[in-house]
Amino acid sequence: MATVERLDRHILSNGLVVVGEPMDTVESAAFDFMLPSGASVVPEGCCGAANVIADWILRGAGDKDNRQLGDALDGLGLHRACAINSSHITVGAALEAGNLAEALKLYADVILKPRLEQDQFGPARQLAVDGVLAVDDDPRQKVMLKLREHFYPSPLGRSPVGDIEELKTLTAEKTRQIIKDHFNTSETIFAVAGKYDFNAIAGQMEELFDVERRKPLRPATVGAKANKYTHINNDGAQVHIGLMTGTVKPSNENYYNARVAVSILSGGMSARLFTEVREKRGLCYAIGARYHGLKEAAGIMCYAGTTPDKAQETLEVIMAEFKRLGEGISEQELERAKIGLKSALILQSESSSSRASGIGGDYYILGRVRSLDEIKKRIEGTSVDSVLGFLRSHKFENFTVVTIGPEEVNIS
Amino acid sequence: MEFKEKTLANGLAIIGEVNKSAKSAAVGFFVRTGSRDETEQVNGVSHFLEHMLFKGTEKLGALEVNEAFDRTGAQYNAFTSEENTVFYAAVLPEYLAEVTGLWIELMRPALREEDFNIEKNVIKEEIAMYKDVPSFDVMDRCRRLHFEAHPCGNSVLGSETSINGLTAEQMRNYFVRRYAPNNMVLACAGNFEWEQICSVVEEGCGNWQVQDAGRKLESFGGSKKRDRLEKANLSLEHICLMSAGVSAQDSRRFAGALLAEIIGDDVGSRFFWELVDKALAETATMQFGAMDGTGAFYSYIRCGRENVVSVLDTVRAIFQKLAEKGINEDELRKAKNKILSALVLKNELPMGRLVDLGSNWVYLKQYRTVAEDISAIKAVTVDDVHSLIEELNPGDFTQFSIGPAQSG
Repeated sequence: MATVERLDRHILSNGLVVVGEPMDTVESAAFDFMLPSGASVVPEGCCGAANVIADWILRGAGDKDNRQLGDALDGLGLHRACAINSSHITVGAALEAGNLAEALKLYADVILKPRLEQDQFGPARQLAVDGVLAVDDDPRQKVMLKLREHFYPSPLGRSPVGDIEELKTLTAEKTRQIIKDHFNTSETIFAVAGKYDFNAIAGQMEELFDVERRKPLRPATVGAKANKYTHINNDGAQVHIGLMTGTVKPSNENYYNARVAVSILSGGMSARLFTEVREKRGLCYAIGARYHGLKEAAGIMCYAGTTPDKAQETLEVIMAEFKRLGEGISEQELERAKIGLKSALILQSESSSSRASGIGGDYYILGRVRSLDEIKKRIEGTSVDSVLGFLRSHKFENFTVVTIGPEEVNIS
Repeated sequence: MEFKEKTLANGLAIIGEVNKSAKSAAVGFFVRTGSRDETEQVNGVSHFLEHMLFKGTEKLGALEVNEAFDRTGAQYNAFTSEENTVFYAAVLPEYLAEVTGLWIELMRPALREEDFNIEKNVIKEEIAMYKDVPSFDVMDRCRRLHFEAHPCGNSVLGSETSINGLTAEQMRNYFVRRYAPNNMVLACAGNFEWEQICSVVEEGCGNWQVQDAGRKLESFGGSKKRDRLEKANLSLEHICLMSAGVSAQDSRRFAGALLAEIIGDDVGSRFFWELVDKALAETATMQFGAMDGTGAFYSYIRCGRENVVSVLDTVRAIFQKLAEKGINEDELRKAKNKILSALVLKNELPMGRLVDLGSNWVYLKQYRTVAEDISAIKAVTVDDVHSLIEELNPGDFTQFSIGPAQSG
């Protein structure tokens, strides 16, 4: 299968970046607008504002009111996607390729001309408040949000869902100001993947986003980390354990060694955590670890859910496995980790949505898009020695732990 | 796209849709068994058995099984529903035959006592985990209330009591009856060699014995009862509504899917505009689940305690308006566009295609192309949806809620 990979790139004169990956076997297209207004970027005291913004901007834009805009988006049959992370609000959609140009027109209005009507602010904010309460009812999700909050230095790990007290004091005026300050087209990335004509898209983007260049946003000032262990009491059935330890960022030369190491720890079902925690001891149903990287910092985050009498043992087995990794890995483990990572990469490459978010994320974090071929080669380039060398120079020693459940654990 | 089919003398159906332009391939065993095929004493056995298949055979231990899968880079797993247990893997084309061979081996498991005892703990942890997920818990409880004594109300996971009481011997007996070749389908989708897969299956499964693996099929309209459970640690009210639907064999299932989309898609539906857009509810969705010989509409609504009364009043008003005035052409058109694009997106991936391919064979013994499904959806008229509303009356539902202590 000798297919030549092509990556498209076009930068508007105002700085807006357009990146694309064409896929010749699909009828769909997917796109993402990455707006530099994520959870850690909004001002202090406005935790949750990104969520309110993501809702409010879709409640009417350009010549369309809330209902007209919703109907127009639905009429195109598009599947809306919205994600808020530390750095960005990402709005986008997956749809039949023929409707792409129409969809971009609507999204240009959403980004450049949101109506931000006063009477639509209340419901947008209320939904954000209820969203925080919904997370309170879902300890599995909550424990991982709290973990990021405590692991990353403030405000990088700030909750993308929000804080009830801060949301309650958020006003329409303040939110409008945040949008004005942060919807900076000069720092926006537009990513598209699937079936498209790049020249047509680049031309349309030039036309739709013909706005002046703006000054870059000031990066957030990074503060201190929170405490090492936090327990939140909840009278539920399980103790939900979140554990995170620092590792190299995606831009680091050891990034692929780190990814392979995480895969040996928790890639497939033969990986160490699943084997030791679930298969041999029956301590958990859900157990897994994954790499989590921001531009500024990165870590390996692990989740386990277990009934209270097994929580202590579960935590101890997990920490022991993290520490044991640097003592040695086998060739077979390395090979399984590599094929697992490569195979996942190719399987994801069949989905236009996965590719759009993949190339957009790359451009933001690395300043360029990696081809699948490059990633494959870098994974293939790792060895037992390179992974062990990395593990020995980057030991897993400090852990941030959060538990939610009826009982605490002992961190020693 | 080319469809292939073969049925072995023992009844095992092998089906495949070959797409040479795909970068991957997917394979799955669809076993026609689930919680509806269980008695009360062994409730949860289908799902527990699904776990036990990964524990290996007379020749392979659990760790060897996991290693064998991981050596191929497969994305593999299994799931159990009320009526199907599905084992699947998505891989690069060159590994499909190997992974298929592995699944075939696992379909004749050792079911060792010591593995059974360790895995029992994992199953009980899974039950505990889902107790902490109110959106799941409320659906499970509502299904029981809706279906009453009908077996479709059985919990897939079972209860801690039923799992504690279950023996390996009971599981072995259930396995022999249900994992019979005439009760299973092996499906493949994506880029693979049909002849190669066929010979792997024939060699591995040809000697499996036919069994009498029936299923009682009775349609059921639902109890229409109401119930509520209080959980002090919750912040929001979680509400599930269920009402009668049409079956997976019924040609009106496409109209059913469109009706659910019109009432309860997560954006742009009637629930969305009346409940979510106005921030009365944080989430309000409706889905249609077509099953073997029966079917149901499920709604899930999550809202603040202070809004419960107005949310339920609004829901009643939505269904009343639906019964009186029906739907209009424009909302049907939008619902069709959304369902069609979801269908196209899903079927672009061999793994997504596998699920539809296998399900159509399980329920209809029929191969349906994506194009045929697209035409069937396009052909649904406003009148078709109206007859369905009239016959099924979705406003007449069973209701289960879980929420915090009621104030005042």
